[in-house]
Amino acid sequence: MSPAALVGLGLTEMSPRPGGDATELAVAALGAALDDAGLARADVDGLVVGSSQGVRPDRVGVALARQAGLGDLRLLEHVEIKGATTLAMVDRAVRAVGEGSARTVVCVFADAPLRAGGSAGSTYAKSGGTSGVRGLERASGLLGSVPTYALLAARWLHVTGGSAADLCAVAVSARAWAVDNPAAVQRTPLDAEAYFASPVIAEPLRRLDCARPVNGAAAVVVTADPGIGRAPRVVVRGSGAVHPMRRRRAGAESWFGGGRRAVDDALAAAGMVRADLDVLELYDPFSVVTLHLLEEYGFCPAGKVGPLVRDGAIAPGGTLPVNTGGGQLSGFYLQGMTPLVEALVQLRGDGGGRQVPSARTALVGGIGGRLDHHASLVLEAA
Amino acid sequence: MTAAEDWLLDPSLAPSTGGRLAPLYAGAAEGRLTLPFCAACDLPLELEQQVCDGCGRDDVAWRDVAAEGTVHTVTVVHRRETGLVRAEDPYPVADVELTSGHRLLMAGRRPSAPPAIGTPVTVSFRFLGGVAVPAYDAAVPASGPPTPLPQESPR
Ligand SMILES: [Zn+2]
Repeated sequence: MSPAALVGLGLTEMSPRPGGDATELAVAALGAALDDAGLARADVDGLVVGSSQGVRPDRVGVALARQAGLGDLRLLEHVEIKGATTLAMVDRAVRAVGEGSARTVVCVFADAPLRAGGSAGSTYAKSGGTSGVRGLERASGLLGSVPTYALLAARWLHVTGGSAADLCAVAVSARAWAVDNPAAVQRTPLDAEAYFASPVIAEPLRRLDCARPVNGAAAVVVTADPGIGRAPRVVVRGSGAVHPMRRRRAGAESWFGGGRRAVDDALAAAGMVRADLDVLELYDPFSVVTLHLLEEYGFCPAGKVGPLVRDGAIAPGGTLPVNTGGGQLSGFYLQGMTPLVEALVQLRGDGGGRQVPSARTALVGGIGGRLDHHASLVLEAA
Repeated sequence: MTAAEDWLLDPSLAPSTGGRLAPLYAGAAEGRLTLPFCAACDLPLELEQQVCDGCGRDDVAWRDVAAEGTVHTVTVVHRRETGLVRAEDPYPVADVELTSGHRLLMAGRRPSAPPAIGTPVTVSFRFLGGVAVPAYDAAVPASGPPTPLPQESPR
């Protein structure tokens, strides 16, 4: 056996319009990933599925194996750890092929929050119910996920001395990458003036600080058998995860801190240091999260991320390429698949106009909840 | 709007008063701010916490606390979902650090400018669909309704 590798990638269209249910999108992505890897359904003996906890009842589950026409399997699981789900799925597959409990595993994630007759914002605003803590929060005016992250963003700017210009720099950098990503939802060039003309959703977050929900699916094929799959192969060098239990109490930060170990552990497993990474693909549902994670994960000294992003470091041509397909902000919001897909595109050299020259290594990050879950993978082109 | 109606939200958002938060709503209905502590070590607990993270005991004691705190963070929500939000202007929501040691999210008791982070507030209640929910009163009288940002376009 060789090290576990990602040998196939399948994507559906990432549609910002209603259409398709999660299952049919998942079936399509699975088929595309097998085609990409040069495999038949009979070659698959493992399936790991993930689905959004979000707003639609028709979630993808383990029934996908039957729906997608697979044969007998040795590994079949549904994984759920909020936004960290995709990386947990890949980690599960890597462990299975490493220990030999499965040989060829497909990981599939699908989401279809967009429905006819209502905007994505409206759909999210109406979900959440009236019971428990979430019911009390909604009764206090926190509808949808944007106001919650707005509270986090306001706190971040307060504790770091940051400003709206920092948020703007993240949004503008992400858009500059997305211009050359055919799969991105937002590809019109963006400048600061246009950013500040974007409507405020919940202060300090504007519409352009928020991810673009899509209906779509993505699948990857994982194997440790060097005879399976086609080049180029992307090797999984390391993984890490941490779930810090910060408490909501007076005198404490409840969103920040405790996440760095997810990256430290992945790098240690890979035998690499931060300077060895060519691209960073982070989970960026809101611009403020990119700011925070760059410090949280140790890619920037505390308090320095504002000047870093305002200098264009994370934009095309910068010294620290981040979210090179436009991320979730300008690319597409397919939860943890967004950064994983872009890492594969870069390490396979398929980035076209956005290709980072000589990109051989990538960090993929995933966060879940309100920064309650952190996961990461270190990938390297074989 | 009658006196019994909430200024901010539609009554369909009234929270369910049963479940683990029942003591909070029972106290609020009588004008008391009631929150959970560990009965063994007195640590302030999160609203749905069942086991103390300090001492490991599972005995939760709800009791009245001082209705005062300071603003941990605050936003002004511009997006107002039709049918759910009644307010016609952007509205603040604050995350408050209570002197009891708890954190609690609240809207204002009445329309007002957002209190800055670090500002002291007191806590009273709004009535949403007949249910009392905690709401802050800025200690410093507000100078009027919030001014929408120039590019404001709520929907
Ligand atoms: Zn205790």
